[in-house]
Amino acid sequence: MKPPGRLRPGFLLVFRREFYWFYRRPFLLFLTTLLPLLLMGVLAIVFSAGLATRLPIAVLDLDGSDLSRTIIRAVDATPDTAVAVNVSDLTEGRALILSGRVHGLLMLPLNLERDVFAGRRPEVVFFYNTQTLTTGNLTLRGVSAAVPTVAAGIRLALRTAQGQPVEIAQADLSPIPVQVNPLFNPTLNYAHFLLAALMPALLQVVIVTTMAYTVGMDAETMHRLVILRRLGGGLWPAMAGKILPYTLIFLVVLGLSDAILFGLLDMPLRGERWILVVAGLLFILANQFIGVLLALFLRPVASAISVGTLIFAPSFGYMGIGFPRLAMNGFSYWWGELIPGTWYLMARIDQTIRGTPVDLSLRPLMVLGIFVLTLAIVTALRLEVFRIRRQRRAARRLREVTP
Amino acid sequence: MRALLAIFRIELIRILTLRPALAVLVFGPLIYALYYPQPYANEALRDVPIAVVDLDDTTSSRELVRRIDASSDVAVAATLPDQVSAERAVQGRQLYGILVIPQYFERDLLHGRQSPVALYGDASYFLIYQRIAGAVVAVARTMGAEIETARLIAANIDPVLAAAAPDPMPLTAVALFNPQGGYATYILPAAFVLILQQTLLIGVGLLGTIGNNAAVRNPAASAAGPLARVGGRLLAYLVIEAIVLPFYLIVLPYLYGIPRLGGLLTIFAFCLPFVLAVAALGMVIATLFRRPLAVQLVCATLGLPFMFLAGFSWPSEAIPEPLRTLTVLLPSTSAMNGIVEVSQLGAPLQAVRGPFLTLWILAAVYGLLAVLLDIRSARGKPAAQAPAAG
Repeated sequence: MKPPGRLRPGFLLVFRREFYWFYRRPFLLFLTTLLPLLLMGVLAIVFSAGLATRLPIAVLDLDGSDLSRTIIRAVDATPDTAVAVNVSDLTEGRALILSGRVHGLLMLPLNLERDVFAGRRPEVVFFYNTQTLTTGNLTLRGVSAAVPTVAAGIRLALRTAQGQPVEIAQADLSPIPVQVNPLFNPTLNYAHFLLAALMPALLQVVIVTTMAYTVGMDAETMHRLVILRRLGGGLWPAMAGKILPYTLIFLVVLGLSDAILFGLLDMPLRGERWILVVAGLLFILANQFIGVLLALFLRPVASAISVGTLIFAPSFGYMGIGFPRLAMNGFSYWWGELIPGTWYLMARIDQTIRGTPVDLSLRPLMVLGIFVLTLAIVTALRLEVFRIRRQRRAARRLREVTP
Repeated sequence: MRALLAIFRIELIRILTLRPALAVLVFGPLIYALYYPQPYANEALRDVPIAVVDLDDTTSSRELVRRIDASSDVAVAATLPDQVSAERAVQGRQLYGILVIPQYFERDLLHGRQSPVALYGDASYFLIYQRIAGAVVAVARTMGAEIETARLIAANIDPVLAAAAPDPMPLTAVALFNPQGGYATYILPAAFVLILQQTLLIGVGLLGTIGNNAAVRNPAASAAGPLARVGGRLLAYLVIEAIVLPFYLIVLPYLYGIPRLGGLLTIFAFCLPFVLAVAALGMVIATLFRRPLAVQLVCATLGLPFMFLAGFSWPSEAIPEPLRTLTVLLPSTSAMNGIVEVSQLGAPLQAVRGPFLTLWILAAVYGLLAVLLDIRSARGKPAAQAPAAG
């Protein structure tokens, strides 16, 4: 596009041109704003329940006694599990697990009641599907809460029947009870744990790829880069004018999604908001520079976007939310250290659910700051290389013209 | 038929010669095969460091701490004087849990009273919390059972009966298909399916948006009808996936030590409609977005949400209803669950009838859509045969 005559080349011109592009290419606006917000909305619906409750399991009751029915009722009554099917043999239960209709099978053996009261310790067996780890563990939690409760009732009855006073018998049942307190997330809500971390992970991919795209469009050939330089009155102000509009847009997107998370969905926000904002800004800038560098080093644009996608689309795993970084191998740990999202999520989790003291959250901020600084310097150096190369070429041309 | 084969040949050559397509369809999966599984390669979380605040400091309390430290899931990394300093270490992510043993722990045990301990686990990382809670509760229960047995024997009860009394009805939990509860075994088979879908989707999208000169120049191909055009291309993608897919579903699990119970034939039979559905969806996406860069940019973002929409890491029972039905439109939803059931669980085809049929229906619907869009775009440019530039 031609700049309006009254505008002088400089940072502002490129800055404005970028917004004009949004107007002219609605796709770019869709990609940077609507798409991440839309996906975030969908994920918010996915996790809206917060807790996965009443997961279906099957029961194979070979005893059919009062005791076995009590156990089934207790298992059905836990928040985690629901007895969906009564099967008549193991084959039927196996088929149900294989088809994914139930997540586990509780088997109550023949003569369970008789053997329990005779002190023969019959086994209650729970088969559960750990191929789906989360779901499998949840059903196990339900069953292993319910069965010992029923057993405790029996043990109490056995003792009081022998003439032990109830309170002594009760103390005897579990000499070392453990009071387990989940810190920071008392209800073990999945939305608080996962949803709040997913938006930055999504945004990271969007930032890197769109920056590679938009800068790539202006830097794909030397010719286009020269146009950009002329518009900006120099490469540095031009690049700043190119980057800043997106910084603002991504800040708005992150802010909007956080407003929904913490305002509308009432996720816990215990901490300093300024840290969240600063960390968010540094996170966005760091990813922007990564995208810019991809565009400046890789041509054509398609390759820059491909490499950006290749590296950042699976980076959620490296950030250690699902599988903690504590247990990763050396490569993954150090690679995760180099991903801006790792540090942003650390600061974010600290200042949302953990309510960490400020001084402990300064380290992720500092690391993000170092990222931004280093990447900005590399970008500047890369632009300098372009400038020197162009000057040399111009000098060569000059020599050819004037022998 | 000749037209279809001509289209098929041209498409196959395009896949192998167009750099972006080759990169996404062949090299992309190869790199992901190395890069994606790394964080999970260690499978399990072991020796999570926790702090102990032992206010009792007696033989019994130290015995409890020793046993907890000996468990494979938890390691006692620090013994701290008070809870405040321990909490700060947890905030700083040096430690992930605090076990507080109150004063008079031993005295209460010896008196035959209950002697509770308190555990604080970092629940901002669920896997860590599970490990800590599971390990400490199990150790405390074992130690409690021993104490209970000792007390009963002291009360002149037959040792055999006394040993049975703490646990009259033991619960045996049998973990199926992933006995160690390994994280890689859990996530990788499903993630591989998603990677296959995303690379195929982007690859087909790129091929559909980059101009196809060869098909215009070739006389047999330019005579092809819409059905042959779509069919020939689908066939080409099937051939490529016939190489990539076995590598992903058979070779990779083997290399990463992930158990596989399913037979090869069943797995491939299930994958056939999956590949067709994804490839056809890729063609539809290509006509919708029209530019290769648009395909790349949009698909880059979709991978992560698709993972959670499939109801794999988050149970589909917990996804609200209208959305759950909508997710069926994505091939990955049926494919991730279906292929995992067929190959990891060894389910026969009739056990996964639902997802199998869904994938065939998706393949038919998206295939039909691709044909219709092809007819429309062919009608749009009858005079100007110039291919749209990328």
